Amino acid sequence: MRLWLSQRLSAVMMAIYIVFLIALLIIQQPSNYESWYVFVSPIWFRLVTLVFFINLFIHAWLGVSDVLKDYIFNKILRANLQIIVDILLVVYLIWVSFILWNI
Amino acid sequence: MKFSIYRYNPDVDKKPYMQDYDIELHEEDHMLLDALIRIKEHDDTLSLRKSCREGVCGSDSMNINGKNGLACITKLADLEQPITLRPMPGLPVIRDLVVDMTQFFEHYNSVKPYLINNDPLPETERLQSPEDRAKLDGMYECILCGACTTSCPSFWWNPDKFVGPAGLMQANRFIMDSRDQATEERLENLEDPYRLYRCHNIMNCVEVCPKKLNPNAAIANIKDLKIERAREHKTKTKTLIEIKSV
Repeated sequence: MRLWLSQRLSAVMMAIYIVFLIALLIIQQPSNYESWYVFVSPIWFRLVTLVFFINLFIHAWLGVSDVLKDYIFNKILRANLQIIVDILLVVYLIWVSFILWNI
Repeated sequence: MKFSIYRYNPDVDKKPYMQDYDIELHEEDHMLLDALIRIKEHDDTLSLRKSCREGVCGSDSMNINGKNGLACITKLADLEQPITLRPMPGLPVIRDLVVDMTQFFEHYNSVKPYLINNDPLPETERLQSPEDRAKLDGMYECILCGACTTSCPSFWWNPDKFVGPAGLMQANRFIMDSRDQATEERLENLEDPYRLYRCHNIMNCVEVCPKKLNPNAAIANIKDLKIERAREHKTKTKTLIEIKSV
């Protein structure tokens, strides 16, 4: 139940972020490099964006795990594929954090 | 009328094949089952299940032009020709259109589809208010034809683990029954990554149900109840900790 609920909650969090981002884009309307830089620079924006990506990766992890449970019946193969997905998502998270903190 | 029917007799055939029939129907043949009975007059080797002929027993469920349904309540006039008939997908074929439903009924059995009530037997019967009785509407009507479960990809991929829409709707039918006392046990019985949570809401079950029921809503209700139960459990634990600390 926890996994199922986490998938729903992470989806809700992402939806809230997307609505918030669209609203912010409409209000601020960044058009050139400088205005985009100002748009993404605040620490709070970067933190919120990081939270969005964490939710995205949780959602992706749960989704891919579901797909593996559905279609991969060999337990060893499934465990190995799951490890690859885990590593990839952790790498993505580090990468995103790196990008966000180097703006 | 033209038909293309799945044929397989494991005693004789190496592999299944589709057999074409062109049959002259009588004026009184309105339903698909009438046509199948007519075909059997010409070729009595064709095997299929049938019984009530009015959509109550669920015996003649099959895959009709790609969609599961009951032959006895499917109008011939609504079907495109050649009418392609196959056994219900996802279950082993015994012969022609007859499938082995053991797995389906094992899942049905696993949800304990009967009233569990440990109170002493009343003299007459266990009464329900009309409101409580109404909660069973849309579920008790299920005839267990298997059309929903065998059109569900989650069942095709994990037939031994996923209970399937029909079984889960019956689980919900007893969870919602005011006379049943095993709600907790029933919800716990579905706490497994496969038994309940393989349902990804694609709603094939709703699409094909010949009784126009909604197994997907029943599954969603079970998921909601499980969240509610977890929340109640958390509140109870919190209260207990508070009482202990006082």
